[in-house]
Amino acid sequence: MTPLVNSSRDEWSELLTKVGNVQDKEAFSQLFGHFAPLIKGFLMKGAPFGYEQAEELAQEAMIKVWRKAGSFDEKKSSASTWIYTIARNCRIDWFRREARIKKDLKAEDLYDLVDENPAHSSLIQKRNQTTVRENLQVLPVEQLEVITKIYYEGKTHSEVAEELALPLGTVKSRIRLALKKMNIQLESLDVRVES
Amino acid sequence: MTVQLRPEVQLHPEADLLLDYAAGSLSPALCVSVTAHLHFCDKCRAQDIALSEIGGDLLSSVGPEKMPENALEKVLLSLNSAEISDQAETIPIINEDMKKLPAFMSNIIAEPQFNFLTRSLKVAKIPIGENKYELALHKISAGGKTPKHDHRGLEVTVVLYGSFSDLDGTYNEGDFIIREPGDVHSPVATIDDECICLSVVEAPIRLVGPILRMINPFLSFSPV
Repeated sequence: MTPLVNSSRDEWSELLTKVGNVQDKEAFSQLFGHFAPLIKGFLMKGAPFGYEQAEELAQEAMIKVWRKAGSFDEKKSSASTWIYTIARNCRIDWFRREARIKKDLKAEDLYDLVDENPAHSSLIQKRNQTTVRENLQVLPVEQLEVITKIYYEGKTHSEVAEELALPLGTVKSRIRLALKKMNIQLESLDVRVES
Repeated sequence: MTVQLRPEVQLHPEADLLLDYAAGSLSPALCVSVTAHLHFCDKCRAQDIALSEIGGDLLSSVGPEKMPENALEKVLLSLNSAEISDQAETIPIINEDMKKLPAFMSNIIAEPQFNFLTRSLKVAKIPIGENKYELALHKISAGGKTPKHDHRGLEVTVVLYGSFSDLDGTYNEGDFIIREPGDVHSPVATIDDECICLSVVEAPIRLVGPILRMINPFLSFSPV
């Protein structure tokens, strides 16, 4: 089953909305079948996760998906993006647990998923998901390498620079070029890209 | 009908910082500072969604790894106990300072304990469980001046309430100000109201007492 990425209402988002609205377990099972193996695969691409930890985290993430589905809004993001942020937060919490940080703060506290200000919604409209994906594919290898390392491994761009033995400035400019290519216009890019 | 608009946020986090944020690699203190900025800045909020979409696309295009046979069954069983338990309980905010701040800040700290650093400057440290950066709230009283100071490590300041100015300009709610080592300034709060800022200070390597460290970013002495 492949979701129709080109339509604004993709299949996965519909299922996720069903889970949010009526706690539909059948819809959830379908989402699980699709996304749990993807989350596991995603986590295993970045060290240091073995398959057991990746499985555990994928299950943890999917349970969160169930609990939080009510806050999913398909007008604002697609299911895959929303589930990505849940998995990302699970990974952050895992790192904190591993580091035995006593302070009881969860990644979702740091990221504030709740939209406090309804006025924001007007500006935040779902972008055409295909644009980003297609553009990821046309990125030159060295830009793609930096971008994927940051996402898969949860490393900062300066950590990635160190690991690839590249000057920080080189990594920064690869990021900027990649974002430009992907048509992600950042406020700070306009001002700073020249420098 | 006139709608009062707050001044547009002028200073934004750089692209690579937003990328690290969306990828989930920022240290908790910096993470909070970016979230604080996003609270005020619709544009960066939209960028964050775009950057999270990259994550969503990478997730969708990764090679799936088979889950164990009984994984779904196990998860379905645990859902029953998890059913509605996660509906956010909203705890009313009673602290006067917290009422002025973006609501999400109450996830991070319930009751900031402000201590005087100078007559017009107070600080409340926010424990966040990391040692690379220190997170704190700074409060400058209305019209309060702070002594000239320099910066020893990376420092991020986000205005959460009110505004302050220095020689380079005026900073309003949401502005994300990065200072590098060597920058010198002397902030002053606006006359009519106090100013509350969130600050992230790179923990200095050289040994200074905890109080002296928390004096940054608004002033610092050189205890030579």
